[in-house]
Amino acid sequence: MIRAILRAQWLSMRSFRLASHRRGAVFSLATSILWYGFWTLLAFLAEEVTAQPGLRTQIADWLPIGLLAVFAYWQLAPLASASMGASLDLRKLLLYPVPRRSLFLVEVLLRVTTCVEMLLLLTGAGIGLLRNPEFNGWPLFVRAPLALAAFAACNLFLAAGLRNLIERLLSRRGMREVIGLLIMLAAVTPRLLFVTEAPMRRFQHLLPAGRHALWPWGAAAEILMGAHARLNPSVGAATLCAWIVFAYLFGRRQFESGLRYDIQEAQATVPRGSGRSWIEPLYRLPSLVLPDPVGAMVEKELRSLARTPRFRMVFVMGFSFGLAVWLPMVLRGRHSDSIISGNFLAVVSVYALTLLGQVTYWNAFGFDRSAAQIYFAAPVSFKRVLAAKNIASAVFIFLEISLVTLACSLLRLGITPGTIAETFIVVAVCVLYLFAIGNLSSVNYPRGMRPQRASGGAAGRAQGLLFLLYPVALLPVAFAYLARYAFSSQWAFDIALACAAALGAAIYLMAMESAVSSARNRREMIIAELASGEGPLAAD
Amino acid sequence: MLEAAIAVHDLHKSYGGKAAVDGLNLVVPRGCFFGFLGPNGAGKSTTVRMLTGLIPPTSGTIELLGMRLPEQEIEIKKRIGLVPDESLLFDRLTGAEFLEFAGRMYGLARPVAIERAHSLLDLFELRETRKLIAEYSKGMRKRLAMAASLIHHPDLFLMDEPFEGVDAVGARLMKEILLDQVRRGATIFLTSHVLEVVERLCDRVAIIDKGRIVREGSMAELRGGSESLEDVFVRVVGAGREFHELEWLK
Repeated sequence: MIRAILRAQWLSMRSFRLASHRRGAVFSLATSILWYGFWTLLAFLAEEVTAQPGLRTQIADWLPIGLLAVFAYWQLAPLASASMGASLDLRKLLLYPVPRRSLFLVEVLLRVTTCVEMLLLLTGAGIGLLRNPEFNGWPLFVRAPLALAAFAACNLFLAAGLRNLIERLLSRRGMREVIGLLIMLAAVTPRLLFVTEAPMRRFQHLLPAGRHALWPWGAAAEILMGAHARLNPSVGAATLCAWIVFAYLFGRRQFESGLRYDIQEAQATVPRGSGRSWIEPLYRLPSLVLPDPVGAMVEKELRSLARTPRFRMVFVMGFSFGLAVWLPMVLRGRHSDSIISGNFLAVVSVYALTLLGQVTYWNAFGFDRSAAQIYFAAPVSFKRVLAAKNIASAVFIFLEISLVTLACSLLRLGITPGTIAETFIVVAVCVLYLFAIGNLSSVNYPRGMRPQRASGGAAGRAQGLLFLLYPVALLPVAFAYLARYAFSSQWAFDIALACAAALGAAIYLMAMESAVSSARNRREMIIAELASGEGPLAAD
Repeated sequence: MLEAAIAVHDLHKSYGGKAAVDGLNLVVPRGCFFGFLGPNGAGKSTTVRMLTGLIPPTSGTIELLGMRLPEQEIEIKKRIGLVPDESLLFDRLTGAEFLEFAGRMYGLARPVAIERAHSLLDLFELRETRKLIAEYSKGMRKRLAMAASLIHHPDLFLMDEPFEGVDAVGARLMKEILLDQVRRGATIFLTSHVLEVVERLCDRVAIIDKGRIVREGSMAELRGGSESLEDVFVRVVGAGREFHELEWLK
């Protein structure tokens, strides 16, 4: 049965790719090679370090911390990136007489999709330890694979359970943003504490506790250390076994709860009185200045996106997670002239712009799915459709930047009216380039996204494009900063930014014509791609 | 003489060399309730999608309401009401919001679109104005799609399986509304697998098989004597198809 599920998924993906996605597949391949090449390099470095006999003490000290980092990445990275990898599409599988144990096994195996990089690192470190004569030679050939496999299994079970739990929590109305914020805070708090230094002294005594063999990472390290273990490798083995049992029970229980969960019931609209919502007039604002049909389309876009769980999650992450990711750097460089602390608001804003891309301009018709055909059936030119999509995206982007600005002001990060104005102008220029590429990718690489899911759904090919084109797209703006740095002159920055804006406007207009022409030629394929179904796995 | 509502000449559509529509010639008079029948995969939906401009034909000409497609695409679209086989509804809007959006896309002023949206919601018994379309049943979605096709008061309706998934009460309501539209002079081009519905509603019928029209005429011409439309349909497109029993299913 498992083989039948995996084969069905393979066939679905194969036919999907063969149809029209060869160019996309090349992009995906290129970005995958870059990404996993980077992690293979890190794994090689880990292997080199752990193979050094002279570093025995340091390895013994830092191996549990390294495994803790692997554990944290494994469990938190999919949540923080709001991309939880492939999972079983139970709606399509529950009608078959497949034992739940088998379904759970497939779900666990699918967790590998979010942590291949960690498996590479563990393999690198494991090989290094095997080559290190200080760690008992041949007995380690038995212990190391067992310990690392057990540690990986524990992570897989926990990740499967966490994924189910988080997906259910995120699908609840009103809960998803709160949970998203909590996850974000959990992810960045250690980093903030580390960088702000002062409270760090209070937490230093926690470091030995973090290394303790009672934790799965500590237990795995104990087994790997052998004779150099703090306690006894057998204690580590027993602890790790207990953790695997716990992780299995947790994962299985969460999976079973997921099977009984009715997402539609959780997301059902709460009946309200006939009174109009306070937000209703805000949706209507664009129509005051924009004539129909553009006004109608912008209004529709604002309503739809604001009610889409996936969009809301990313929007919240844009100003919260972005701020928290970059804040430590500012705090660290507060007393120096670092570029990031000097342009903090612009950096966070451009980061938020990047995050919003996957749910707005990179795949503008993703949430519309088959309904996008109305744009081809209605008496409107496609140029207006794209313009309306861009205007709606811009509204959310500048709302996001306003929230980032507000948060920075509340945190007293030295934001002046000048830096605010500069940030808004810089973002506006960046938007021209990104929308130009986004319009082209939206018509050439469209992919239907499931709006009810709080995670995943961003087009893999679009992400590939983003990875390759993002630095290029922001290059003209980067030149403006470079000019200010090189000439120590605000004038140099202003002139370079004005040139970047003019070039961006020209590129935007050219890309718009090209996108409209592509949409005219590819309309059939666009509708088919947006409406196409998936296999038994929801591959995000 | 009035121009035809739909005039299609030598229409072809191929996918990878395989013809989905193969030299289709069709004339639908104005004010006609036209049924377009065919077995699965015969080319019905492909034809409707070409008529609506959603997909370009490989070759051939299409004239709707006396205007050429794609040359006068925008003018044509303004006068067409469309109910496609796949949903064109935006799940994260309410029914009222979607109807208002559709009306404004067809050039109605906002107050007019809002007013018509509410009267259509009443007419199609979709009064739960706060409910998102994502929570609609299949039948409700079809009714809403039909309401959207009516909002700009079109002259020509292109409908692909509009009754699919609609309950008997909803279907009765939709039929009455469509008949009313024909009485006022609109033309309806409808595909359906429910032959009883076609038999009861349509003035003229064409049967398509393997991308070609194999029968066309008024209902009386097609049925001849005492045959039902189903008999005619099975005889025309089901010839040579025999039922083989499977040993293991006995």
